[in-house]
Amino acid sequence: MCAGGKPAVENITVVSNARVARGVGRIVLDAPRTASAIRPGQFIHLRIARDADFILRRPFSVFRAGGGKLEILYQVVGTGTRVLAEAVPGAEMDAIGPLGHGWEIPEGTAHALVVAGGLGVGPMGMLVEQLARLGVATTLAQGAPSADRLLAREVFAENCRRVEVATDDGSEGRQGFVTVLVEELLASDLPDVVFVCGPEPMQRAVAGLASAHGVPCRVSLERLMACGIGACLTCVVSTRDGKKRACVDGPVFDAADIIWEQAGTEAARA
Amino acid sequence: MSSHVDMRVRIGSLELRNPVMPASGTFGSGREYSEFLDLERLGAVVTKGVSADPWPGNDSPRMAETPSGMLNSIGLQNPGVEAFCANDLPWLAQCDVPVIVNVPGHSVDDYVVACERLDREDGVAGLEINISCPNLDAGGLAFGTSCAAAAEVTRAVRAVTGRTLIVKLSPNVSDVAEIARAVEAEGADAVSLINTLLGMRIDTRAFRPVLARGVGGLSGPAVRPVAVRMVWEVARAVAVPVIGMGGIMNAEDAAEFMLAGATAVAVGTANFVDPLAMVEVIDGLEAFCASRGIKRVTELVGAAWPNATAR
Repeated sequence: MCAGGKPAVENITVVSNARVARGVGRIVLDAPRTASAIRPGQFIHLRIARDADFILRRPFSVFRAGGGKLEILYQVVGTGTRVLAEAVPGAEMDAIGPLGHGWEIPEGTAHALVVAGGLGVGPMGMLVEQLARLGVATTLAQGAPSADRLLAREVFAENCRRVEVATDDGSEGRQGFVTVLVEELLASDLPDVVFVCGPEPMQRAVAGLASAHGVPCRVSLERLMACGIGACLTCVVSTRDGKKRACVDGPVFDAADIIWEQAGTEAARA
Repeated sequence: MSSHVDMRVRIGSLELRNPVMPASGTFGSGREYSEFLDLERLGAVVTKGVSADPWPGNDSPRMAETPSGMLNSIGLQNPGVEAFCANDLPWLAQCDVPVIVNVPGHSVDDYVVACERLDREDGVAGLEINISCPNLDAGGLAFGTSCAAAAEVTRAVRAVTGRTLIVKLSPNVSDVAEIARAVEAEGADAVSLINTLLGMRIDTRAFRPVLARGVGGLSGPAVRPVAVRMVWEVARAVAVPVIGMGGIMNAEDAAEFMLAGATAVAVGTANFVDPLAMVEVIDGLEAFCASRGIKRVTELVGAAWPNATAR
């Protein structure tokens, strides 16, 4: 379920690319090989431009895949994603994929809680589709700064039994962080498993809440990466079993294995 | 056309099928890349640094992108020589390619212990001694920046191994040729350069260094002119072969290093950009020679020197 096909470098073409919210884009790529091999929670390592002064690839979670296409939601955060945002249909790029260890849905899961904060929706499209196919009753807790930045709502409405939202400014749903919803949903919905992606402090908080309720929790972690294939040791995550590589051992981990204090930029700078 | 070019080069007792190998630390222990390329196409495989004891590496963030390059401060995370010999080497050894194991150390004894252990393995063709890693407070920097220390570690390692011994030089020195001569005098079979240049980035929002360790090693095309200059200086100062590296992205870049005096080249950061980069460098270098009527790739070595015959 989580291994997917062997990774390869694939030449890909931009099909469409549009701004869907402030600072957020949705790009569709024609990538038949990767699209047929990728599994929920895996990612691609995208070479956005050649002959540019930024040389490294960027890792992107694949939101949805099908019909030979990959759909990616991305936030414009730096040079690479600024150039990505300007890519026009027909533009050629190449990607290594599918990469990483994706979401594992535990045997016998009847009810799942999916938690996405901001761009944390990135790896959740294929997951909720898979959960729906398996007949799992899925509740989504989605958080964003404001209503206009609640992304991909139609995909979640179609595949989730229940959707709860929280916004920082209260423009829709509960005012505040998504963690408030998670606490209530853990108590009322009694999920068998929690899947979470978003800012690391939020992930840490959700993992703690899930643990307190005795519910298994899977997290998709974001790390800077150079190679994306397990060689460079840039993207390491501290776990109870030593340092693991987000690119090949993750990006999805069992939250119980993560040593949050040492993991990640936010923790290092806190 | 390309079949007319003899691509073989010699480094110490090793005959390489072509002059292209990975730079240590950018290619894992080889297996990570085997899904993308045939390791047997390469001149050699150079592994990540393997130390006497396990090293945990540095805190994150370990990487920062820079103009035409990157800074890293991985800290030579590795499971130690015993784990390497048990888990990584057996797979690598059954590939038909010379295996060069990179060895860092915090002390002369560290180097000796790791090299003695590796010398017992039939699968190890050569050792590359990292006296230049800029990432560790107590680490290689001291060895690589002084002739006496560089000579001491070379002498100690030479005493415990008959395998081809390569000493990897630090560019963070005022006279790299002087260090090269010092390690050559102690029996190094070859020198490789450059390791990364010390660099730094500051996060202007957080008012802090970007890397957890503050400084890191700069690599990528940004460092290439510095590397070519140092290879030029060292190749003219020593008789042993030079393995040149620093921002090689394609065959033209590789040729540049060979024209400066390198007998072989290593590809580093480019492996991150394109896992197939080395194959393109090998094929491109062959085509580069063929298109110029060059029959042996070794004809490129030092061909840009003032006393060389102009083509």
